[in-house]
Amino acid sequence: MAVIPSIRAALSRARTAAWLGWQVEGNWADPVLFSIYILARPLATALILAIMYSTVRAHGADPTVFVGFYVANAFHSYVNTVLVGMGWVVFEEREEYETLKYVYASPVGMFTYLAGRSLVKFTLATVSVVVTLLVGWFLLGVRWDWATVQWLPLAASIAAGLASTLFLGFLLAGWSLVLTRSAMVVLEGVTLASYLLCGVIFPIDLLPRPLQAVALGLPFTWWYEALRRFLAGHGTHGVMQRLSDTQVLLALGGASVVFAVLARWGYFAFERRARALGRLDQTTLF
Amino acid sequence: MTAHSPAPQRAGFEPGLGSTRPRHTGVRLFLAATWARAYVRIAGSLREPTWIISDAIFPNLGMCAFVLLYRALGAPREYEALAVVGGVLTTYWINVLWGMGAQLYWEKQQGQLQLYFAAPCSLVAVLTGMAVGGLAATMVRSLVGVALGVWVFHVQLAAFSPWALAAVFVLTMVALYALGMTLSSLFLLYGREAWHTANALQEPVYFLSGLYFPIRSLGALGAVAAGILPLTLGTDAIRQVLLGHAARGLLPLPLEALALAGFAVLFLWTARVSLAYLETLSKREGRLTQRWQ
Repeated sequence: MAVIPSIRAALSRARTAAWLGWQVEGNWADPVLFSIYILARPLATALILAIMYSTVRAHGADPTVFVGFYVANAFHSYVNTVLVGMGWVVFEEREEYETLKYVYASPVGMFTYLAGRSLVKFTLATVSVVVTLLVGWFLLGVRWDWATVQWLPLAASIAAGLASTLFLGFLLAGWSLVLTRSAMVVLEGVTLASYLLCGVIFPIDLLPRPLQAVALGLPFTWWYEALRRFLAGHGTHGVMQRLSDTQVLLALGGASVVFAVLARWGYFAFERRARALGRLDQTTLF
Repeated sequence: MTAHSPAPQRAGFEPGLGSTRPRHTGVRLFLAATWARAYVRIAGSLREPTWIISDAIFPNLGMCAFVLLYRALGAPREYEALAVVGGVLTTYWINVLWGMGAQLYWEKQQGQLQLYFAAPCSLVAVLTGMAVGGLAATMVRSLVGVALGVWVFHVQLAAFSPWALAAVFVLTMVALYALGMTLSSLFLLYGREAWHTANALQEPVYFLSGLYFPIRSLGALGAVAAGILPLTLGTDAIRQVLLGHAARGLLPLPLEALALAGFAVLFLWTARVSLAYLETLSKREGRLTQRWQ
């Protein structure tokens, strides 16, 4: 069958792209400095949360609520690193290294190349998530009861969340192909807006109503709620409290499938548009 | 041009006195160069609408999230005010880091750095202009954070003296932007790592400066941070002026103001020394015109 060789070829290309990605991401520093760089940002945010909580704990802040926020914040590294990082790949290849046109013209192809580059970012994000959770558990007292962990729904929700991250990463990368200098602003905006809109560290009920509607349409909102319920043992109050675990899982699955289809279609539409507009090698000396 | 035709007037040179006498020298040249660079920064920041949005809105998104976390944890309202003040100040830190610290690196990438070194004015004047222009543009944008705090989160302020606020703010900004001037030469020496360094310094400085919580909560670490980072002391001092006792200040306000003045002098001196070193290095090694170095 011709399918197996083509899959094998795609995997080989993705592996090559991942190796290249690792060289690009990590060759500027020795391993110790690189580790500090990778972990500084998420750990600093985690520490900010922990100090904020410890400061107001005496005023009756609920520890179980905080554990849920801390866990969601740790997993938000995937969104920061992978989803937004894939857009940065396009931006850097075009503006910084001026190699995007060569990648596009190579037999690897942009889609496979981006998939390969995302593997490195997934690895880095996973390290960040694990270290943040370990620091939380051993140093900050952010703990949960392992007996209440629902392993199967947890595994399913993590799979759906990571798939959503990857597909939306493709969509953002496609959008970055069309944008030029403003891609930098869009990517930074998505990083910050997702932190606010997905209710990472607070219940979405605290958002204004129109923003609540947006939040409910995003797969990450459901992913973080699922993580809180199936790992930390407690969901958030308010709107989410009215939903059962099954409903949360179904919402996460549905949103993930819709976004996957939309993202794949959107990526190729953006790519065609970028080619038509001559944006693949357009640098702006930002 | 014939032998008797008048010499053409050159930009920056006094007309009618021959072409060799510059119009500005000494302090006048310093101020003229400062104003010229500040003008470019202000005009440039207004010509890129996406950057206006990113500078004005993005830093406040994080601030909103932290304010809502306090609300979710049932914290007293005064903590929200603490986070709003810190959130507004993040705008300045981002500007110092990216608009000052990483700026000479950008200039090198764009092939303009050698023009700065070849220009007849001091590089300190260029960086001062960059700081003044960046500060002016950032002040306007930080008003978005102030507006969010007042009209969306309804933060309550104590009765405060606008003069005290202005004095503490100016001291904080001078110290902070002087630090940015020092960072700009350091980042340039590090070369390609400038981007990564600026990226890596953002959130850790938010943490060490106690932008979203009282710096006193950090205990001994907070005291150490206050001894290194002007943003830590500046945030605490501004909060003490605006929030009074609710700020849970680290040190008495006059002492913090004195320390900020000390920071300003220290960082202005280190900026001057590091820029002089950078200039010497650039002439000796000839590397500053090479991208990726």
